[in-house]
Amino acid sequence: MKVTVERAQLLKSLGHVHRVVERRNTIPILGNVLIRAEGSQLSLKATDLDLEVTETLAAETGTAGSTTVPAHMFYDIVRKLPDGSQIVLEADGDRSVLAVKAGRSRFTLQTLPESDFPDLAAGDMTHSFSLPASDIKRLIDRTQFAISTEETRYYLNGIYLHSAGTAKAATLRGVATDGHRLAQIDLTLPKGATGMPGVIVPRKTVGEVQRLIEDGEAEISIELSQGKIRFSLGNVVLTSKLIDGTFPDYGRVIPQNNDKELVVDKKDFEAAVDRVSTISSERGRAVKLALSAGKLVLSVTNPDSGSATEEIEVEYASDALDIGFNSRYLLDIAAQIEGEVAVLKLADPGSPTLVQDKDNKGALYVLMPMRV
Amino acid sequence: MPVRQLPEQVVNRIAAGEVVERPASVVKELVENAIDAGASRIDVFTDGGGRRRIGITDDGSGMTHADLSLAVDRHATSKLDDEDLLRIKTLGFRGEALPSIGAVAKLGITTRHAGEPHAWSLSVEGGEKSEVMPAALGQGTRVEVNDLFYATPARLKFLKTDRTEAEAIREVVRRLAMARPDVAFTLAGEERAPVTWAAALPGAAGRLTRLGDILGADFRASAIEVRAEREGVTVEGFAAAPSLTRANALGQYLFVNGRPVRDKLILGAVRAAYSDYLPRDRHPVVALFVSCPPQEVDANVHPAKTEVRFRNAGLVRALIVHALKEGLAREGKRTAANTADGAALSAFRPAFTPSPRPGNWGWRSSPTYPVNPMRGFEGAAATAFAEPGQAAFDVGTPTADVRFEAAPAPDLLDRPLGAARTQIHETYIVAQTRDGLIVVDQHAAHERIVYEKLKASLAKNGVQRQILLIPEIVELDEATVEKLLDRSMELASFGLAIDSFGPGAVAVRETPSLLGKANSAGLLRDLAEHMAEWDEALPLERRLMHVAATMACHGSVRAGRRLKPEEMNALLREMEDTPNSGQCNHGRPTYVELKLSDIEKLFGRR
Ligand SMILES: Nc1ncnc2c1ncn2[C@@H]1O[C@H](COP(=O)(O)OP(=O)(O)OP(=O)(O)O)[C@@H](O)[C@H]1O
Ligand SMILES: [Mg+2]
Repeated sequence: MKVTVERAQLLKSLGHVHRVVERRNTIPILGNVLIRAEGSQLSLKATDLDLEVTETLAAETGTAGSTTVPAHMFYDIVRKLPDGSQIVLEADGDRSVLAVKAGRSRFTLQTLPESDFPDLAAGDMTHSFSLPASDIKRLIDRTQFAISTEETRYYLNGIYLHSAGTAKAATLRGVATDGHRLAQIDLTLPKGATGMPGVIVPRKTVGEVQRLIEDGEAEISIELSQGKIRFSLGNVVLTSKLIDGTFPDYGRVIPQNNDKELVVDKKDFEAAVDRVSTISSERGRAVKLALSAGKLVLSVTNPDSGSATEEIEVEYASDALDIGFNSRYLLDIAAQIEGEVAVLKLADPGSPTLVQDKDNKGALYVLMPMRV
Repeated sequence: MPVRQLPEQVVNRIAAGEVVERPASVVKELVENAIDAGASRIDVFTDGGGRRRIGITDDGSGMTHADLSLAVDRHATSKLDDEDLLRIKTLGFRGEALPSIGAVAKLGITTRHAGEPHAWSLSVEGGEKSEVMPAALGQGTRVEVNDLFYATPARLKFLKTDRTEAEAIREVVRRLAMARPDVAFTLAGEERAPVTWAAALPGAAGRLTRLGDILGADFRASAIEVRAEREGVTVEGFAAAPSLTRANALGQYLFVNGRPVRDKLILGAVRAAYSDYLPRDRHPVVALFVSCPPQEVDANVHPAKTEVRFRNAGLVRALIVHALKEGLAREGKRTAANTADGAALSAFRPAFTPSPRPGNWGWRSSPTYPVNPMRGFEGAAATAFAEPGQAAFDVGTPTADVRFEAAPAPDLLDRPLGAARTQIHETYIVAQTRDGLIVVDQHAAHERIVYEKLKASLAKNGVQRQILLIPEIVELDEATVEKLLDRSMELASFGLAIDSFGPGAVAVRETPSLLGKANSAGLLRDLAEHMAEWDEALPLERRLMHVAATMACHGSVRAGRRLKPEEMNALLREMEDTPNSGQCNHGRPTYVELKLSDIEKLFGRR
């Protein structure tokens, strides 16, 4: 194999793929990135067995071929080579090393045979559709915070993506919950997604897709089947296993009849929660919300350090109510509100509270109270 | 006072001071005599810590009338030809045990020799020998010692409590019994519940049986057979796996040609061999048997005969280290210590008795149910709660853990560490074998693998040395300097280059770069001390290994990292291929094995 690439391009692509590679591995080849030169393209591929990222970039191929080298070390080398240099990658006859040359620098890297490199064998994808990158980004941004990290309910360790809504107004819905709060967002169901199976996209995959989008892509095409999902963004293809589990019937936890409506200015509310929670301890982060007509009093009492109260003007016309929430959760949810005004629908101090944008943007959040 | 020849009685009493130090020494001498007489069964009985009474009965050759009357005389022995002090094959050879005992206690001997029509008996009291009288006894010899030290009250004062003396007696008998598994022993008396060690089969199996009887079932379960032989010297025996340790070195037994001895040699050698497996303050349990031609070893160092001198101590030491290291490496992967023993098993047993629950226990009526029960399905959401204070949705019950691998591949089940089925607490891999299950500590196991790789690469590529800009001059005493310079080749192989620098100093020119900015003076002093004591450059190697161990620790998958099934299986396979993978480099086990039979025992199915 002999191929020449531009350093900046190689660095960018490697930056995408090497992130997938775990730093410590029990299987040596999982620490490597697969390099394949073919025609006028160089493709790079890395995997952690659950997730696989492939990226192609323009290159001048002298001799086609492929090999694998340690991903992090290769990335570090390319990173340290001078900007603007042309990098030549050359694998010798028996291909046990890869030579990396740029300017006057020469490296040889131990390789492992590409035949050992695992393939995530995607199989047949049953559904495929495409979405504007900004939509996918929004879907992820609005739900990611609620993904559970707890392995004992592994089916909560991702975003549940499925079709919902009515036949007339069908939506592509993303839901995430950690048992304390839940986030749900609806997008118009794209063509091709009709009848798709409900799938749980793992947290790590969600994070990688989000990062790739931040690098700016217009349109993302998604293919999926029962067990796998694939995102294609320009010259990057990310294929991931899905979480093999059943997402709980989340509809049951979304309150339908909460009649006490609290309307707050998002910024005021967020700032007030943030201020009073300064006093809270690591262990108990409860903020008490005391509601009465037109008035909300937030308070925190920490037996170890003191107390704080703050009063803000709100729209509230129902019976007085005292309810407690984890301040961290309140802040997380407030951060999701895209407009200026948030609406909280409450029932009683022991029941879930619904939070939404005043002009419903297709997203809703549910939060369980704390007993204070 | 004019010079005069001391009377025999006084001479014997002086000798007794050396041979008979305490009751346990009497027991030792008498049991050794019984062993020398070819006994196949020896019964030991003591009262009052051995002070009041010691009785030893054997079924050995016995003595003739003539022998008996001579036996209690000073320097009378049947065990030494005139010139033979260089080839001692018996435990006794000085011919002073019986007269010494006779000088300080009331001694009675009854013995029956095959060539005599009946038994004979004789007594000695205060050094005075009685007539030999006809007596009744089937076969062998019975020796009784009463009122030990009655003739030397000063010595009596130095004795410890009866219990301590009885304990010392037990230790003496244990050691002799370990040396001779082919002889049956009983130990009885008012101070203890009687114990019997049946005669065991000859060979290693019998030896292990006896060691198990004496050192405990834990030792037997984890014992590794070791053996090394060179130039006519054999070292064999059993060593406990590194998971069975003691806080002191008292569990290390050395026998030379069937004689229990105490020797610093074994301590240093054992420490060296286990250095990779054990923390400094833990000591392994070993029983090692050295056999060599009698002229290679001198047992006549002290009247008590518990010390020996080897003609070639270096060889014996090297053999011990080699035998242990080889055994540990061989068994390192699958030591019995990793299988659940009785104690570990019982720890699995639930410590509570389930209380009968009143009927109709229900979550919603339990005290942990939220104070404000949620309204039904149509109303507000159905909920439960997860932690104090914070309410939670009902989104499924947390499982103890998670995803199990589908039916394991049959070929993996046949591997020693089996097929990975799941990971729990993101730290432990649970694997299934044909006849049990294995739990692996993923960090400890991976750490061992990385460490062994680093070690191998150190061995292959050598230690990189940092050349010092200005050689460091370390002042030491002359003897130490000489010792260090003698070994400079060996030190150089570990990356430490030293030169002589006048009589009382050495110049350090290169240091192992792994050690970073080494404190050369401290290192050299440490080395010198260690070489004086144990005759090897261990601290240097150990320091290097310590650095390697730290590097290994950082390069291994941590507890808390979710492993995929393929990764778990890869780790198991690698463990199978890595020497010593049964312990991490801190001596902790990397995995435990529960046999199906153990599990069945847990549930009382067996
Ligand atoms: N239990 C016994 N059975 C047969 N012979 C015995 C027994 N005990 C002692 N003898 C005989 O008595 C002799 C003297 O015993 P003693 O213990 O005094 O000396 P030793 O065993 O020869 O040497 P050492 O002083 O080193 O023990 C022995 O050499 C042996 O012949
Ligand atoms: Mg003797």
